[in-house]
Amino acid sequence: MALLDIRGLTVRYGGLAANADIDLHVDEGTLVGLIGPNGAGKTTFIDAITGFTHVSSGAIEFDGIDLTSLAPDRRAHLGLSRTFQSLELFEDLSVRDNLLVAAEKPPWFAFALDLLRVSKRRSVYEDQVDKALSALGLTELADRLPSDLSHGQRKLVGVARALAAKPKLLLLDEPAAGLDTAESQRLATHLRSFLSSGTTIFLIDHDMGLVLNVCDYIYVLDFGRIIASGTSSEVRRDPNVIAAYLGQSAGEAQAREGSNLAAARASTSETGATP
Amino acid sequence: MKDLIFFLLVGLGLGALYAMLGSGLVIVYRGSGVINFAHGAFAMYGVFTFDEARRNGHLRLPWVDFLPTHWLNVPVSIKLSDKGVPTPVAFVLAIAMAVLIGLLAHFLVFRPLRNSAALGKVVASVGVMLYLQGVAQLNFGGGNRQASSIVPDSAVRNFLGLGKTYPEGALWAVGISVLMGVTLWAIFKYTQFGLATRGAAGNEKGAVLLGYSPQFLAAMNWVIASVVATAAAIIVGPIQGSLTPVGLSALVVGALGAALIGGLRSIMVAMWGGLALGAVQSLLGLYSTRSWFPEFLRSGARDVVPLAVIVLVLFLRGKSLPQRGSLEEKRLPLSPRPVRIPQHTVIWALVVIGAAFVFQNSGSRTVFAFALSTSLIAAILMLSMVVVTGYVGQISLAQMSLAGIAAFFMARMMAHGATTASNPFPVSGPGLPWPVAGLLGVIAAVVVGVLVGLPAVRIRGVQLAVVTVAAAISLQTLYFENQSATDLSAGAPANVRPASFFGISLASLGSKGLTDRPAFAIFVMIVLVLCAVAVSNVRRNGTGRRFLAVRANERAAAAAGINVARTKLLAFGIGAGIAGIGGVMLAFKQNDVSSANFVYQSSLAFLAFAYLGGITSVNGAIVGGLLAPAGIITATSNYFLKGTSIDRYVTVLGGAALVFTAISNPNGIAPAFQEMLRHLGNWLRQARGKEWAAVGKRLGPAFVIGAVAGFAIWPLRVDSYSKVWMPILGGLIGLLVRSIVLGIRQSITAKQQKRRRRSGPAPTRREPGAIGAGARTAVGSGVDTHVALAHAEQV
Ligand SMILES: Nc1ncnc2c1ncn2[C@@H]1O[C@H](COP(=O)(O)OP(=O)(O)OP(=O)(O)O)[C@@H](O)[C@H]1O
Ligand SMILES: [Mg+2]
Repeated sequence: MALLDIRGLTVRYGGLAANADIDLHVDEGTLVGLIGPNGAGKTTFIDAITGFTHVSSGAIEFDGIDLTSLAPDRRAHLGLSRTFQSLELFEDLSVRDNLLVAAEKPPWFAFALDLLRVSKRRSVYEDQVDKALSALGLTELADRLPSDLSHGQRKLVGVARALAAKPKLLLLDEPAAGLDTAESQRLATHLRSFLSSGTTIFLIDHDMGLVLNVCDYIYVLDFGRIIASGTSSEVRRDPNVIAAYLGQSAGEAQAREGSNLAAARASTSETGATP
Repeated sequence: MKDLIFFLLVGLGLGALYAMLGSGLVIVYRGSGVINFAHGAFAMYGVFTFDEARRNGHLRLPWVDFLPTHWLNVPVSIKLSDKGVPTPVAFVLAIAMAVLIGLLAHFLVFRPLRNSAALGKVVASVGVMLYLQGVAQLNFGGGNRQASSIVPDSAVRNFLGLGKTYPEGALWAVGISVLMGVTLWAIFKYTQFGLATRGAAGNEKGAVLLGYSPQFLAAMNWVIASVVATAAAIIVGPIQGSLTPVGLSALVVGALGAALIGGLRSIMVAMWGGLALGAVQSLLGLYSTRSWFPEFLRSGARDVVPLAVIVLVLFLRGKSLPQRGSLEEKRLPLSPRPVRIPQHTVIWALVVIGAAFVFQNSGSRTVFAFALSTSLIAAILMLSMVVVTGYVGQISLAQMSLAGIAAFFMARMMAHGATTASNPFPVSGPGLPWPVAGLLGVIAAVVVGVLVGLPAVRIRGVQLAVVTVAAAISLQTLYFENQSATDLSAGAPANVRPASFFGISLASLGSKGLTDRPAFAIFVMIVLVLCAVAVSNVRRNGTGRRFLAVRANERAAAAAGINVARTKLLAFGIGAGIAGIGGVMLAFKQNDVSSANFVYQSSLAFLAFAYLGGITSVNGAIVGGLLAPAGIITATSNYFLKGTSIDRYVTVLGGAALVFTAISNPNGIAPAFQEMLRHLGNWLRQARGKEWAAVGKRLGPAFVIGAVAGFAIWPLRVDSYSKVWMPILGGLIGLLVRSIVLGIRQSITAKQQKRRRRSGPAPTRREPGAIGAGARTAVGSGVDTHVALAHAEQV
């Protein structure tokens, strides 16, 4: 049975259908990718799954549970963890605290204990956080503030924060945007290692090189609709995809150099989105 | 039916005032993102200028000379004629004053603050309000003034056949406010200036493209708002009754209501909303006298019902999480992790205990004993603001009201219908012992606090600040001033019996009737320590992490599994509990409770001083407590500067200090102070003769010049200035002036360097690495360049 099962998902902003009738499945233990040009509705899709935007129609089932009416924090507790395209780190907290916030699942009366506790005790979640930090090579930076870090490091902190929650499904929104080729390749290795330790991953990215190389299965989105899906070699050859995304020329060649091109495009798109 | 129509019409007079002030608030908010709590004070200063010129022929400038001598004084008043000037001249003078105040507010206060957090702007506007109120008290006298109306205000008999007498002035008021509203609307809709302003509200580049500098637009908007407020107060104010500095400043509440109806965006809606608000209030005033009206709402309905409706609308319109890409709030200062709690606690505690015994019954120094417990209690109250505002970023202006809930509830629970020598008002009640009554009071505060926090689930930023003012006013009129809840006739204080602990009396009053018993100060101190430790614990553990996460980014917090709404309510609950404890302590100190202690203005002042101290840390709250009105610092300056009559200027100087600190030290004094102490400590440990000499050479001249000047002023004294303190004060002022001059010189060189760098070869591009946080500054400096270019073209 699929871990994430989406049927007929539609999200409308006014007259615009940012997601139109999307069917999509993510099996446990796989790495599934979603690609599409700027404005295709990829972020909207993650927002819909994680509860950040209203859903006009359709069903979202995660691990056998219908998510449609649950608040974002409830969905996070069920094992759904996401990163943001514009990072959205907790700028006032150290890197370690950023991860701890996501890792902790406190009981409702935790505040009473915290009010009365005289000495700071080591949170039981610190081990989990340490593991996530070392998985992304951030151990050295644990006590720094996010604003002291480079863009690439900040991206990794975003991924680490999502990972620290020990999610069943990790949803990554353009984690490689703005990274250079080496950083992007290192990220691919990290993703593979998460996968082998049992985390299912859903990856959005502009970086065609990354997506086509690491994903087991790929969906292609254009104007809010799924226009193709399949393994990377199937998608690479799909004429719809070539027309919509890769341009008219042969997809293969462009896919190879795509990583640079897409990175550049993504970083411009993001600068536009941040202010 | 006739009554209904008539009372609706009567309310339009006040509604016109709300409408015009409310549109001013909208204009300022759109122009510079400031909710101007001083807007009522602007109107107040204008109408007093008008009345003073017309009545006595004096033009009183908006400042004071707080060290007056016999010559070389700062001019504070210009005499125009012996009998008073003609009305049109007075009107023009008042409008000129409004322009001046608008410009000063922009250039001296809000322009330097344009990039700070919403809270900093709120604090600065509170500072401006206190400043103007203080200046008005000194320049015009604090008493009532009965100004005569400049529009015809005869009584119209049997108005519209409704069988009642209607004041003609109200018709004029409505007419003028609609005219003004439509004019403003047209200006903003159809002129280049208006277009640019609306463009600049969304995006500074928009204004630049139309050839306006955003700063020019902001200044113009301040001036327009100030002028409209002054005109409104001159035309409509006298119709509404007598004028007082505080009363007129409080008009800002109704105006805020009107502005909120307009969503802080629409002038037209704010105008109609203001008129409607006045009308509805008048109608509620009528109905609340009817027999069918619910008893408990009788005293508060006029204020509470309209505010409740506004809050409800805002709540329904709000979203439980901010939209993707919605404008990000400017960040509050970092909240440092508390360190060395036991050491800090022991040091503070020893100082307090020592002071408590030293100042007990020590003649004229007994004032310090009083100020000591005032400061300790203020620190408790400010700790509640550290939790709600410092940790979770929710601006609450209702914390004093929550303190009041606890105090009043405790007083009622303790009461048993008896009177005392000092308080002849009996209150009926169950007569519970103080620990039970106090606990019930704190629980009541927590319950109400969570209710007050409910709007925060969907309303954010400055809008929330305004909503909490509404809550504060509701609590005041519905509870503190409501006889059916307190069993007190209006204005009477409720008696509170002193506490005792296993036979030890914790009373605040000593045998001589002075508030100086060490036992009480130590009692308050122990309570403060417990609260401070609890607040530190929150910061150091998971709860504090979640608080700061919500403060930093609500969307990311939700994605990390935090229930944002519940976290905010938790903070409001904890904050209310601490505020309640503070309220209970205040009741024990004063031995009674009265509503005057718990008005929303005192929440504003306390929040402002907490911000000065450093609202994100426990130390900040303690420093804030020292700074609080009637606290240690005020007492010290009053004591040592006795005879300089500087205590008359406390409000003015306090307001100015608020503004100054909000600009120069947005993180609050405590962090800067700690840093300074550490440096000083290190320096003192290493310093030898050579170092001392160097410092003497560096700072000596400024100090000596200041001291000589101080001494020179002494013989020219107006009051009895002290021979010793004037030179010392002069020397310190000399040092201050030196540092300000150096600061200005430094910023000028920095600017020149920047200009040189800009006019040099192509500016260095930011690396892609700087996207996240850097992008904002990159875009920002891009705009600056545009602005600079636009300026250059104009010149
Ligand atoms: N809150 C919103 N209101 C209205 N329209 C929106 C909203 N959010 C997104 N859109 C629109 O929905 C469409 C899809 O946007 P989305 O951000 O999901 O695309 P994307 O595939 O993530 O693009 P990118 O590659 O740039 O990140 C866009 O046309 C966008 O303008
Ligand atoms: Mg996107």
